[in-house]
Amino acid sequence: MCRVAGTLAGMSDVLRARGLIKTYRRGRAVDGVDLTVHPGERVALLGPNGAGKTTTLLMCLGVVEPDGGTVEVAGHRLPRGRSAAMAHVGFAAGYLPLPERLRVGEYLRMYGQLYGLVDPDTQALRGLERFGIPHLAKAMGTELSSGQKTLIGIVKSTMHDPELLVLDEPTASLDPDVALRVRTGLAALCEERGTALLVTSHNMIEVERIAERVVFLSAGRVVADGPPVEVAARFGRDDLEEVFLHLASQRQASEHTEGLRP
Amino acid sequence: MWAVARRHAYVLYRSPHRLFDVTVWPIVDTVLFGSLGVYFVSQGGPDSAAQAGVAYLLSGIVLWHVVYQAQIAVSTGFMEETWSRNLLSLMVTPLRELELVAGIALFGLAKLVMGVGVVALAAFALYSFDVTSLGLALFPVIAILMVGGWAIALFVVGLILRFGNGAEALAWGIMFVVMPLGGVFYPVEALPAFVRPISELLPTTHAFAAGRDLIDGGPVPWGELALAAVGTLVAVAAGLAFVAWMLRLFRRRGYVTRYS
Repeated sequence: MCRVAGTLAGMSDVLRARGLIKTYRRGRAVDGVDLTVHPGERVALLGPNGAGKTTTLLMCLGVVEPDGGTVEVAGHRLPRGRSAAMAHVGFAAGYLPLPERLRVGEYLRMYGQLYGLVDPDTQALRGLERFGIPHLAKAMGTELSSGQKTLIGIVKSTMHDPELLVLDEPTASLDPDVALRVRTGLAALCEERGTALLVTSHNMIEVERIAERVVFLSAGRVVADGPPVEVAARFGRDDLEEVFLHLASQRQASEHTEGLRP
Repeated sequence: MWAVARRHAYVLYRSPHRLFDVTVWPIVDTVLFGSLGVYFVSQGGPDSAAQAGVAYLLSGIVLWHVVYQAQIAVSTGFMEETWSRNLLSLMVTPLRELELVAGIALFGLAKLVMGVGVVALAAFALYSFDVTSLGLALFPVIAILMVGGWAIALFVVGLILRFGNGAEALAWGIMFVVMPLGGVFYPVEALPAFVRPISELLPTTHAFAAGRDLIDGGPVPWGELALAAVGTLVAVAAGLAFVAWMLRLFRRRGYVTRYS
């Protein structure tokens, strides 16, 4: 089901991962995943818990070394070109806290400098305004709600105008209002800057709103890749939520069968 | 590097308890070893060899804090990134691993100056011991000990990468091994025979021996300094190789998820 190398935009892909394999002691987490993201494309990586989403993302970011396969980000092959590649990538995760003992402005300035921005304070303010939270610039990280921390994490990951924005469970802890603000901000960013988006989420309604293409993983393999409506139709379901539930129940059944084997 | 150094400056500024490492503990150490020296002198009489002992102890504790502060600043600076679960965020920026360590060490220099300055001032104020009386030859001794402290920190960072925060006790514990074996207050001959070969291998042993030669008013001990310098360079090379090895394991086994 996955897209095959060479059939798409080729060298212009902002992310090209081919044949990714990762095995941990507990078993194979990722089993031959191909993943391509084109410039400006909004892609969601979906699947039940343990499907291999986060491991795939971490391999695409060069933080985890694959046992097999290749990753190219913005034309830079990992792991050798990791530093150059990461200059084109922003990453935020709903589960990552803000470092303590830093004000929001100081935190954003630090990351702006790490991304080589000449004027990180201006970029930080622009990012805070994009997500409607310029008043938080002077707040301490410890004073923020979990939703505000997530927003700051997203601002941090977008202030250098990355070609690829990778978000792992970005709206997991957000109320509907803040989640809407995140979606609106991300849509504006992708529209204005042509930023490509690779996002994981368990919220299928949100995915249908954000992503123009979804890649479903199950047991470490790509089982579907295409526009949300097409993927749902391919599985004979009405929406992605039903596809998700179908794949999760299949996974449980297969685990149960394996458990019954002598 | 500057961004990392500034981030750690904020951490120190907003965590007054962390100033204990560069203010209170150095004074406690000075009082402990200075008073030991004064007591031995009082027992041995004004002409005894114990007279030199007080200077050995005080110069030893001042120079020991060069190693200690250099090591602890880098180790705890790295651990700060693991405690605050900031490691993953840093690893997906263009920042290279060596730049991260260098940035932490850069800020560590400021802590080192504070910590060693406090010990030197306390030694002067409380026991009239002026470490600058050792002369210009003190600078290479300090430089060697500082780099030696960084080399130890590289091993601690490597172990934390491999074993997680469970290994953080080593940041302090390893110094309790280096202190008695590293010839801080006495020459190798004072150690039990079976540990002397280990002591001889440690570059700090030769740097501290050079410090004592300066206390005795002898010529600059270039031989000891050269041995210490070569040993320190070997230790740094081994430390870098160890960190690189542990970093490969860290990436291969996906240990980053421990901090996310």
